[in-house]
Amino acid sequence: MEGLQSFAIALAALLTPMAIFHVMWSTLLGIFVGSLPGLTATMGVALLTTLTYTLERDFAILVLICMYVGAIYGGSRSAILLNIPGTPASAATSLDGFPLAQRGEAGYAMALATAGSALGTVVGILLLVMLAPPLADIALEFGSFEFFWLAVFGIVISGQLTGGVSPLRGYIAGILGLMVAMIGSDGIHAHVRFNLGWSDLNGGIGLIPAMVGAFGFAEVLTVMWRRRAVMVDGETPKAAHNRTLPRFADLWRYKFTIGRSGVIGTFVGIIPGVGEDIGAWASYAAAKRISPERHQFGKGSKEGLTAAETGNSAVVPGALIPALTLAVPGSAPAAVLIAALFIHGIRPGPMIMIEQPDFIYSIAAMLLLATIMIAIYGLSLTRLFIQVLRIPRELLMPVVFVLCVIGPYALTQRLFDVWVMAFFGVVGFVLRQMNFPMAPLVLGIILGDLLDKSLRRGLTLSDGDLSPFFTRPISAAFVLIILVTILAGVAPVRRAVASVGMRNS
Amino acid sequence: MGVCAELAGKTMRFESPGADRIASLVFFALGAAMTYGGYAMDRLEIRQIHPASIPGLVPIILGVALMVCAVLLALQAGNDAEQTDGPPDVSWTDLFCALAFCCVYAAAMVGQMPFGVATALFVTAFSGWFLWPEAGASASVRIRVAVGVILFGIAVSAAISVLFRYAFLVRLP
Repeated sequence: MEGLQSFAIALAALLTPMAIFHVMWSTLLGIFVGSLPGLTATMGVALLTTLTYTLERDFAILVLICMYVGAIYGGSRSAILLNIPGTPASAATSLDGFPLAQRGEAGYAMALATAGSALGTVVGILLLVMLAPPLADIALEFGSFEFFWLAVFGIVISGQLTGGVSPLRGYIAGILGLMVAMIGSDGIHAHVRFNLGWSDLNGGIGLIPAMVGAFGFAEVLTVMWRRRAVMVDGETPKAAHNRTLPRFADLWRYKFTIGRSGVIGTFVGIIPGVGEDIGAWASYAAAKRISPERHQFGKGSKEGLTAAETGNSAVVPGALIPALTLAVPGSAPAAVLIAALFIHGIRPGPMIMIEQPDFIYSIAAMLLLATIMIAIYGLSLTRLFIQVLRIPRELLMPVVFVLCVIGPYALTQRLFDVWVMAFFGVVGFVLRQMNFPMAPLVLGIILGDLLDKSLRRGLTLSDGDLSPFFTRPISAAFVLIILVTILAGVAPVRRAVASVGMRNS
Repeated sequence: MGVCAELAGKTMRFESPGADRIASLVFFALGAAMTYGGYAMDRLEIRQIHPASIPGLVPIILGVALMVCAVLLALQAGNDAEQTDGPPDVSWTDLFCALAFCCVYAAAMVGQMPFGVATALFVTAFSGWFLWPEAGASASVRIRVAVGVILFGIAVSAAISVLFRYAFLVRLP
């Protein structure tokens, strides 16, 4: 109750003309970014971070949140119309959205996607308001030992769930990210490590240049590498102009799907480094398992589309829960948001409920405003979004690259950061094409310092004794979860468990 | 050149057992280098720090972990071959051209000449290079495309320069 009251106060404080103006332009920009294949939510938030550092703190965070929510929602546009997800988060959306568009129901598919996204975010916001404060309380019990395992857990679970067929690739990406974090002054003795003789590396690798490279430049290369997407017959503007408002009866029929997908999406968001794409797939799979119309899934099921869109949008508030309370990002865009929070003088982590108790509610209010705005835009600007999809990549990509160059430079005024961006762009492109996921890499860069400091501080506190890392209750629980996670990724173990299960049934 | 690149597109793959083996070698070398770097790192005895808090500790652990993962990657190279179904629909020529344009702009143009000039040249050259083949043989269409990309390059450069210089107060490179 107290939480809801704080939420209402935060929302009222945000309802100023200037804040509404920022919500309007940034959500619209977010939807454009998300709907254009090649521009992802992470890239949008990273580039916008460089553009908002002169803004007032609350407005800057508001703009970034709106960009995040808008971009995740916007990805559904190209997924439905082009069969190409605008962001990876909308991959599941295209399974049913595109067949619906081919049947001439593109407009209605987009309306359902809008309603699903808005309702998913609302479920996520409710869980954010309910879960974040108690989680921050629990996090206050964390010491160096627990933070060390939290960092390891983040890398392992993110590697496991984003590595695709082989978790090994996810683990390698995570370790590479941790290695990047080892460059520069260490957090305990300020000893400079691995600067390769360049004084520019003494401060370490900046997260924003690395992210802009890995998600911006790498995406430019990917888009130019692939053949151009062609709009097919089913999704002409005419086809998109059937019904553009969702039927209440449809939404009511899928109320359990929406609620379930919202909860699944939020909890997937809470898992470190596991983002919107997994949230959408998990919600879609759960809906398919239970739905009476499961045979329709993949052929234009409205329930499948709703589940996917609700699931991916609910990840956004979910991903912010650990980001705010533990400073561990729940997704790649949330990682950029953490960096942006630091730039604007907010220190996410267990102390946030003590230092800035209202901040979590402000974030929830910002999410709600962004959600209202995507609902308004989504249901009213269908034709404009279709026109945006027609911008040729040959004109868009050089502009994106110029922003990738000037954005990181604007933050530090160092050309060195431009080279860092270019390096991470090329390496990120190659790694992605080799099926190495980027989320664990980003998480590694963020968590490297925490892991390093926590391990060495813990060992100093225990005078070199390793046992507190295994015997303290929370640490022991982390160790158990990590071991189970790793073992679940080993193929022979998985097969053995499956065969035991078959025998018992 | 185009033909060579298209042929290369049929044989060059990022996700292949061969690429995994090369990657595992690179990762092993990187892990070994980090382990050695951590081991050889100053242990700060002169500052009498706790021996368990030496700066090289975590790099050693990470280096060893990466070496183990590299060996596992080499062993399972090709096992997840179900992802490699048919050649992807890609253009290596476009990739290398885009990479070349971007690298020349970021490394050799920005900082060496006024930002506005470098950006206008880059955007015009990038867009023009990829849009030119689509202009066809018609002289009037070619002229229209050429004028269009030049104007687009100048407009983008001016807009971004003004935005960063006057709205965000950034001293442009």
